[in-house]
Amino acid sequence: MEQWIEFAKGPLFTLTFLIMVLGLLRLIIPQVYLLFIRKRDVLRDVKWSKIIKDTLSWIIPIKHFISGTRLFSLASYIMHIGVIIVPICIIDHIVLWEKFFNINLPSIGQGLADYLTLITIACLLILLGCRTFKKHQRAMSGFMDYFLLIMVILPFASGYLASHPNYNPFPWDVMMLTHLLSAELLFVLIPFSKLAHIILFNFDRTSGVHWQLRPGAGDKIAEALFGKGVKI
Amino acid sequence: MAKTATSTESSVKENIYPYYLPGKIPDNLVERFLEAFATVLQFTDYRQLLDTYCATSAKCNRCSVACPVYLASGDPRDIPCYRTNLLLEVYKRYFTISGWFKSRLSSRFDLTEEIVNEMAVAFYRCTACRRCTMECPLGIEHSLLTRLGRYILSLIGISSKALQVSVDEQLEGETHNTSKIPKVALLDTLEFLTEELEESFGIKMEYPVDQYDREFVFFAAVSDYLMEPETLMGNAAVIYAAGDWDKWTIGTGNYDGINYGLFYSDWYLENIVKQLVSEVDRLRGKKILIGECGHASRSAHDFVPIFLKQDAYPVINCMEYALDCLEKGKIKLNSDIITERVTYHDPCNIARSGWIVDQPRKILKSFVKDFVEMEPHGINNYCCGGGGGLVSIDEIHDFRMDIGGKVKAEQIRQTGAEILISPCANCKKQLKELVEHYELPCKVMGLHDLILKAIEIPGGKSPQERKEEAALYEM
Repeated sequence: MEQWIEFAKGPLFTLTFLIMVLGLLRLIIPQVYLLFIRKRDVLRDVKWSKIIKDTLSWIIPIKHFISGTRLFSLASYIMHIGVIIVPICIIDHIVLWEKFFNINLPSIGQGLADYLTLITIACLLILLGCRTFKKHQRAMSGFMDYFLLIMVILPFASGYLASHPNYNPFPWDVMMLTHLLSAELLFVLIPFSKLAHIILFNFDRTSGVHWQLRPGAGDKIAEALFGKGVKI
Repeated sequence: MAKTATSTESSVKENIYPYYLPGKIPDNLVERFLEAFATVLQFTDYRQLLDTYCATSAKCNRCSVACPVYLASGDPRDIPCYRTNLLLEVYKRYFTISGWFKSRLSSRFDLTEEIVNEMAVAFYRCTACRRCTMECPLGIEHSLLTRLGRYILSLIGISSKALQVSVDEQLEGETHNTSKIPKVALLDTLEFLTEELEESFGIKMEYPVDQYDREFVFFAAVSDYLMEPETLMGNAAVIYAAGDWDKWTIGTGNYDGINYGLFYSDWYLENIVKQLVSEVDRLRGKKILIGECGHASRSAHDFVPIFLKQDAYPVINCMEYALDCLEKGKIKLNSDIITERVTYHDPCNIARSGWIVDQPRKILKSFVKDFVEMEPHGINNYCCGGGGGLVSIDEIHDFRMDIGGKVKAEQIRQTGAEILISPCANCKKQLKELVEHYELPCKVMGLHDLILKAIEIPGGKSPQERKEEAALYEM
């Protein structure tokens, strides 16, 4: 078991982290190319300030706590704070940042980390509950929507239990291996699932920009489908 | 994915496509749909958009509480994200590498005729108001995918009869406008409007027709010439009072600002925009002045620069022009004329982007004493329920009344307004029907209809005189 843990901490971590980074680059490079190189000339009049303002409005989304979504929105908002801060700033991970990237990050302290972890898990369970029991959410949820929520809960729950032996009914090494493997599976899933929004979250807002239709495209489509000169 | 109920193939088509062009729906729907989808991807930039949406759509469902259609219907197929997902699933399965792999590993999703049918219905239950985008944490523009879905469907013969007939007449008909108003009828109408203005103001304001080298070439929603004479008279009164009478013209080659291509087809959108610009070219105009119409304004304002590039003409909405005149002191509006409570409906096509929100309010507040806002309003307004071209589809009148416009009707009722201002030909039609359907005690009119009552024209009858004369006439 010890060797498995070492393998998961070492080469497997490096490999999965690399897959995540390369996978996200694969998504972001075409976006940057489209916006800043290929369409640079036609995007002169784009209101970038509005796009940035709209994106930032979701960082403190007070005006977005609208009727019918308050529980979901609150749970989602707090969950996002947890999933960003805990994995990066928890003391055990600070060591990893230093080891792999030589970056010294501030720790949030064990006490706060514990509370934040539990709150994050609770929020994720609320989101899971909403998706399961609310009619309009269930109507359009597929396997991956539930699976990814569980996949995010798993490293948080296993990490908490591994660092709190008093509450952990399982052997420590089993819990630690679960924590490592689930987190690494999450790394791999990020660029290939909707979790890619961690990096693409602001690119949807440029969708108005994408609607820079190519002049003459309609004619080419009509010609390809119906032949030259045939009425659409 | 919810399956649409089916019986025999023919009855499916009868039940699902009551408002589509008869005889144009192909038998091999799935193959034709995929072929059209692939061709669209080949010649456009939609692939980038679809890739982004596939990678980010979290399906959090916040859009459901923002959508007036879903709020009224409670039907899952009206959830914007659900509708978007119909198209995204097809894209992922047939046009991405991961979809290709997944299809080899499992048989989770295959496009069927039922799904195409479902899309055909779902995409025409959306009013394309874009309110859902405001509440999407990721900013996904669901109406853009609704429109793309409609475009692909139109390429296989599935498009609304009302929209299709209109654009065909506009591009290929004798009249080149959606209401089939021939030039002679236009000239008659303008003569009638001139007489009405003269009777009202005591001044002859002869509409300028086919004048060359003017600053503004004016395009109203052509239906205004049939149904909204007071709006057009208001436009004329503002221009006359501002001293710009020799700066504008109406062209008889093309006088329709309507562009239903905006709702469902890139090809029609582009060609109608080009037709509009060619009239400005012919008259050697300098700017395009659009009347009271939301989608006509947006289709010209947003797409003239895209399809015409550097040759683009500036596009100005008549409310921008009127406010400019007011702020420069070129026109004066009498604040003692309108005593009723007035509220304002924001047409989605000009308000959602934040383009025309403050201008009409500044004008109204300058002469209306009892102005009340709907809640929410401005860029967060609710659609009238007839957006996205739905107002033209008479076959779905009940849907537009009972579902599409239900939230808006309640909004109007809560204001207690006696006059509802709606500066858009499509919104006006829908709102007039809503007011009748829900028995709301208010009158729907355009902003320029109200301006017409209060404007002071030097040398002409005062607004007070006109009001007294109108009261006598009504008696």
